Amino acid sequence: MAQAHSQQRSWAQNRALGALAPSPVPREATAAALLAALAAALPFMLGWLSLAANRLVSPKPVGLPLQGTTGVGAACFVLGCLGVALLARRRALLPWAEAMAALALVALLATVGLGAGAVLEGASSLARAAPAAGVWLSALALLLAAGCCAAGRDETSGATPTRFLAIAVPGIAVLVLMGVLDPLSLLREAAARGPELRMAILRHLAISAGALALAAAVAVPLSITALRRPRLEGALMGMANGLQVVPSIALFGLLMAPLAALATLWPALRGWGIGGIGAAPAIIGIAAYLLLPLAAGMLAGLRQAPPDVLDAARGQGMGEGAILRHIRIPLGAGAMLGGLRTAAVQAVGLATLAALVGAGGLGTLVFQGIGQLAADLILLGVLPVVGLSLCVDAALAAAQRALAPAGQRG
Amino acid sequence: MRLPRRVPWLLLQCAAFLLALWAAPRLGPLWGALFPDVQRPVWDQRGWFSLLGAHLLLSVGAVAVAGVLGLGAGILATRGKGRLRPPLDALFAVAQSVPPIAAIALALPMLGFGAAPTMLALVLYACLPVMRGTVAGLDGVPSAVLDAARGTGMSAARVLWQVELPLAAPVILSGLRVAVVLSIATAAVGAMAGAECLGTPIVVGLANNNGAYVLQGGLFTAWLALLADRALALAVR
Amino acid sequence: MIRFDRATKRYGGRTVVDAVSLEVRAGHLCVLLGESGSGKSTLMRMVNRMVEPDAGRVMLGGRDVAGVGPEQLRHGIGYVIQSVGLFPHWRVADNIATVPRLLGWETARVSARVDALLELVGLPPEEFRSRYPHELSGGQAQRIGLARALAADPPVLLMDEPFSALDPGIRRGLQTALRRIHGETGKTILFVTHDVEEALLLADELAVMQDGRLVAHGTPAEVLGRDAGPVVRRLFGDATLAFHRLGTLPAASAARPGPADGTPALPPDATLKQALMLMLEQGTDRLALPGGTLHLADILAAA
Repeated sequence: MAQAHSQQRSWAQNRALGALAPSPVPREATAAALLAALAAALPFMLGWLSLAANRLVSPKPVGLPLQGTTGVGAACFVLGCLGVALLARRRALLPWAEAMAALALVALLATVGLGAGAVLEGASSLARAAPAAGVWLSALALLLAAGCCAAGRDETSGATPTRFLAIAVPGIAVLVLMGVLDPLSLLREAAARGPELRMAILRHLAISAGALALAAAVAVPLSITALRRPRLEGALMGMANGLQVVPSIALFGLLMAPLAALATLWPALRGWGIGGIGAAPAIIGIAAYLLLPLAAGMLAGLRQAPPDVLDAARGQGMGEGAILRHIRIPLGAGAMLGGLRTAAVQAVGLATLAALVGAGGLGTLVFQGIGQLAADLILLGVLPVVGLSLCVDAALAAAQRALAPAGQRG
Repeated sequence: MRLPRRVPWLLLQCAAFLLALWAAPRLGPLWGALFPDVQRPVWDQRGWFSLLGAHLLLSVGAVAVAGVLGLGAGILATRGKGRLRPPLDALFAVAQSVPPIAAIALALPMLGFGAAPTMLALVLYACLPVMRGTVAGLDGVPSAVLDAARGTGMSAARVLWQVELPLAAPVILSGLRVAVVLSIATAAVGAMAGAECLGTPIVVGLANNNGAYVLQGGLFTAWLALLADRALALAVR
Repeated sequence: MIRFDRATKRYGGRTVVDAVSLEVRAGHLCVLLGESGSGKSTLMRMVNRMVEPDAGRVMLGGRDVAGVGPEQLRHGIGYVIQSVGLFPHWRVADNIATVPRLLGWETARVSARVDALLELVGLPPEEFRSRYPHELSGGQAQRIGLARALAADPPVLLMDEPFSALDPGIRRGLQTALRRIHGETGKTILFVTHDVEEALLLADELAVMQDGRLVAHGTPAEVLGRDAGPVVRRLFGDATLAFHRLGTLPAASAARPGPADGTPALPPDATLKQALMLMLEQGTDRLALPGGTLHLADILAAA
């Protein structure tokens, strides 16, 4: 007890006094430092680059030419990792450690891009350079280190590295725009499929957003109605839970037949884009899976208000509508957004499977890649999916933090 | 003690499931009636029972590995001052942002077609609920009980084994239940990467525009997941 | 039996227990009294090494507790806490048997001990033995907590506000039971509370803490003497200190020897407080005691 109290106290002190206060090393420090060290070591241990003579032969690891700008990049990367480890030793500096991890990632990618340029100089135009395993694992370690730093900062948003993404995503975009990463095979693949990739991303977002909107349109009113009707709540949650058990690819496939039948019965529906093949089965199918997180989040949020608060509100003559608007929703906004966050991340992930029913999206690239066993193509599909999920998660986590009721904000 | 009445009921459901698997290839007219446009509505490329066996091997095997890993990670995360907790939380956050199909696709170039990439992805995904359940269960042990247990002079290992784990067991088991259901449903996606399982008819059906295959594969996968969910719900009680 | 020797504990920059030296004699019930945050629980938890002092030492039966393994040490110290902390998945009998089983007692001896302890804490064994903790009331649960602490017959008991969460009536019953058990078993008990009534009812010795320091220590009568310091005065209430003091003094010691005079008679172990109450009640200024008479003036002189 006493220990917990004193920890809280010292934490509050640190927040108040910033870096000046003599702060105990946060528990995140060890893990963040280890991960940063791992991130720094991995490219040196497992290789920076692999080179293939052409697209068809398997790549072989090559050394990084550590002179010139490439060397500067590598030095920046190692210093960045060191910075993460050092900054994470103070609780007040954890956000800076998280930001430093993002800078280290940008430096890592810049190094790889510059190195690939140097390696490919004079090689045949068919030769392809790609980041080696060490770079991928190092990037993962940096992401996890940033997550650790984020976990130490506040409870509501968990270990989502919002700050890391807010720096890393624009940073990587700048690298791409400057052409630093152009020598990498992934970027060549992307350049070759530029319009297709852009289309896939837009389509992916549209499918996810459509499914989210559809699921919300069903789940929100039903949850509010179910709040005081246990039988409706049982039915709603039972259905939402039961749907989770159905394999997603089966559900999409199964929706094709009835939708095709509907479109045959009422050809007008085709004009609305509803048919057996295309976005409709994917959006409906994804929305079915989103019912559970949305409804659970809504109900949990609506129940967030403590009974004595509700009692007091009723005692002062508030009607149920007023209670919903002035008490339940403001107090439960965090939990509701939490449900929305889970649902949004799932939507982005599930939309990958939409390609199976001809709906397009990033899954198209992934499945083409699987079919050709082409790693670059798979990555070209998967990396944007992962990036989108992380960004959606981070953005909604930030919203969750901002919307926490003033009285409950940390 | 409602157990005795529920166990036979569950066994009956399992029997019905197996009977349906046996009957599926013999129900040509039914599939034909449901999908009049499909030329060959009866799945006969592989035996249903061998698909079931492969599916169970894949998903239950993954959960077994994941159970050990997740339990260990969950215990470690709650020991000491919780130093291992932040990286595990971070891993959880990242893993949730990578859909299973993406994990399978990423593992594919390294591990090749077949069950291996699916197995890897399933283990990864099944770990998460087990770990989360373990952490939540251990966190839920009242601090007074821990204080009293230490006060009576129990060793740390004994406190874990005799007090914490038994008290956390329901939450850990419900995490395991989520893991089993999740991995049975997700294993079907593995068919995309060439893993033989109940998802194979779905993928073949999608590729050949054969709704009957999709229905049969989807039906049996969902049914299996439901059965596993029921069985584990019984075990949790 | 228990000796704190300049025991000190700091959390972060704050000193929670500040160089406390205190000795509790064998067989005594010492109450550590103080407001929340005064460091009394922390001090007590140093005895069974639930808290390790940053400086100073704690001696138990002449040995430094730091030299004894925590687990072995705790087997020999009963520990009772406010929230009881019964193991919810074990029956009452298993809960009580925790330490005997850790010590490897035989089954028959364990179950005999469990029954004896249930009797001691005033719960019929056949009725309570196989209940689960959630089937107990708060008072019953704390009785089981006490039985568990006494299970291996440890010479020392540590009790951390054990009755604070209970209703007043139930609390009184447990306080009386504890007094009786203390009398029957002769344990050395360190008892932490913030309740002055409870402290006066139970204490052989009273140790008052404030901001991590020991500000007073002695018999209740000594602590509540006319020279009591500001902390004691504030805790007991400046206006009622004298009244509380009367409660610590035996009426017999103030009485005038001789033939019993005065009509209402006092029991032999009555305190001056009870005597005064009786006088007020009866409207008289003298009371009869076995072997003497007590006048109102005697009470005023003693206070």
